[in-house]
Amino acid sequence: MLWASGVSMTNDDGFLQGENEPAASKVIIVGALVSSLIFMIVYSILYPGQDYPVISDFETFGSLTGGIWFFILGAVFGIFSIIATMITEATRE
Amino acid sequence: MIVISDVINTLAIFWLSALIFYILVHRGLWIFSDVARTMGMFMLEKALGPGIELVEGRTGSAARAWILQSVIWMMIGALFTFEGMWLAHEPTALHSLSAWGYDPTAETLAATGKAVTAFGGISMALIGCGLHILPKLLGTGLASERNATLVSFLYSGGIFVYLVGSHDPVIFGIKVLVIGTGIHVLAMTAIVINQLLTVSNRSGSIPMPAWLILLGLMAESFNLIASISTGGINEGDGQWLMYRLQGSGFFFLSLAGVVLYASSVGSGNPLWSKTLVGATLLGGLFTLNPFGANHGTLVADLFGLDAGELAMSTNDTVIVTFLMALASIPIIAFVANAMLTIRDSSSSSTAGMSEINLGLMAMIPVFIGSLFVQTDAVSGTDAISGLSWTIEEMSRWAVLVPLSLGSVLALYPSITGRELASAERSRTAFWLMGSAVLLGLMLSLTSSAIDMALLDAGVEDPSSLSHELSVAASVIFYFAVVAMILHCLNMVSGLFRGEIVGEETEVSSSIEADTYNLASATSVSRILASGAGMDTMVVPVGESDEKGSATDL
Repeated sequence: MLWASGVSMTNDDGFLQGENEPAASKVIIVGALVSSLIFMIVYSILYPGQDYPVISDFETFGSLTGGIWFFILGAVFGIFSIIATMITEATRE
Repeated sequence: MIVISDVINTLAIFWLSALIFYILVHRGLWIFSDVARTMGMFMLEKALGPGIELVEGRTGSAARAWILQSVIWMMIGALFTFEGMWLAHEPTALHSLSAWGYDPTAETLAATGKAVTAFGGISMALIGCGLHILPKLLGTGLASERNATLVSFLYSGGIFVYLVGSHDPVIFGIKVLVIGTGIHVLAMTAIVINQLLTVSNRSGSIPMPAWLILLGLMAESFNLIASISTGGINEGDGQWLMYRLQGSGFFFLSLAGVVLYASSVGSGNPLWSKTLVGATLLGGLFTLNPFGANHGTLVADLFGLDAGELAMSTNDTVIVTFLMALASIPIIAFVANAMLTIRDSSSSSTAGMSEINLGLMAMIPVFIGSLFVQTDAVSGTDAISGLSWTIEEMSRWAVLVPLSLGSVLALYPSITGRELASAERSRTAFWLMGSAVLLGLMLSLTSSAIDMALLDAGVEDPSSLSHELSVAASVIFYFAVVAMILHCLNMVSGLFRGEIVGEETEVSSSIEADTYNLASATSVSRILASGAGMDTMVVPVGESDEKGSATDL
């Protein structure tokens, strides 16, 4: 049931969920991304020349030596965002 | 004895085909008109059997399918172009992918980017907008929405084949690009029949922008007829000419028609000059557009032929150079008309107008650069052939993509019935794309110029400055990839969440600006959660507990 502006509510337990996303929530996502980048940088400083655990066991990822991979990673992230948007928007109530 | 070269023959047949088509549109097919119409509709729908039931036939569904797929192909094209630019200065950057059997080179990636952007992104955008514009201008509906929607997926399948074929032209002894061309021709035939049937159902005369779109669509057929009938397609000169005619015909005429219409719709101003549209139309047909590659290798690859060498006679060189220089008339006419239509726009914030402005501003400088490169190639001088790749990319990414994408964005609300999801995201994407295509490709041009100068001077050591500039160029061009991702997200989200065109925003809430209508007992937390603030006035709505009764009539 749509009860009020941008808020959907169920009748049973009174669960409330806002439809509008607060702008500050993006900070958490950006923070998570920055943290993972910092981890990778710190790891390479602490263990220079060492492969990353687990992901480097895959042959392809083990030899990701060029800077192009950061850009391709960004593009892949974007492509999956588009696919995710298509799926979530199409299945959204 | 006068010997007429294949170049002149091909041009003559191309122009004659256009003239015959113009007459036939006005005069019809005599007693065969009705038969052709019935036959055409049968081919578009009934002949496809249950396949046609796979897609919906709502008004605008075809144009929507085409423009959405076009933006996705533009994004993929940008990504491959970026990778091609990167591998040009670091050839082993993607070497690790050889573990998966994929070992691309700078050339294959650049060729893929070129094919996907031109045939997928730009062409699909132009065809999609044409499917929306032509019926509107002719006061009728599209002959078969369902067929056009279905064909969009067939066309995209052809682009995917091009993508594969650009990497590996021969698989199991089969020339992959030829299959892609077959699919492309089949899909284009269906679109041409569909649009011709739409024209036959028109309720009035055909406006000038409609002629641009119509002749643009037909130009591909004229080009095929002319080049195959003269045998020019088998020779280097003919292949180069076929490339040019495709650029002048399909790309330029369709683009001009779509952009002029979108400029008027987006700005809210009437089209500035009808005479200039006429100059654009005639000039586009009777001149050669210099945008694009300075050879016809692509044509040879697409038709599975051996690429011939460009070796024109002096007469032919003079003719084609003259026709390319004459192309300045339709180009200046088009740019002036579109710019003056957009001027003093009452709705300057309309998405797409900025992209159209960018493309229009870049068009004349890129035309001049392309003219130099082409003249240099046909005369056999090859003094500035080192710049040809960057100039070609500029014509694609600084002119054709912004103009076709801008038109798609400007017409998006009319086609889909909804606004884009976010105007801010659209603006961000514009700035990213603007910097990518102007700054990035200018750096690439500078790098190429340094390499060319060193080569001329006989210096064998590569320049470190040139290398650094090419690295910077590829990194900055990456902004185009991000811009296209943002545009894709914006368009996909807009389909579902964009504000509905022509409707006021309806709030299904009891809260007005600063009041809250309290209908029944509720908690303060719920009132606050529904958007009310501390200053919101809570207004109790009167209720009666009296028992109801039947209304007296």
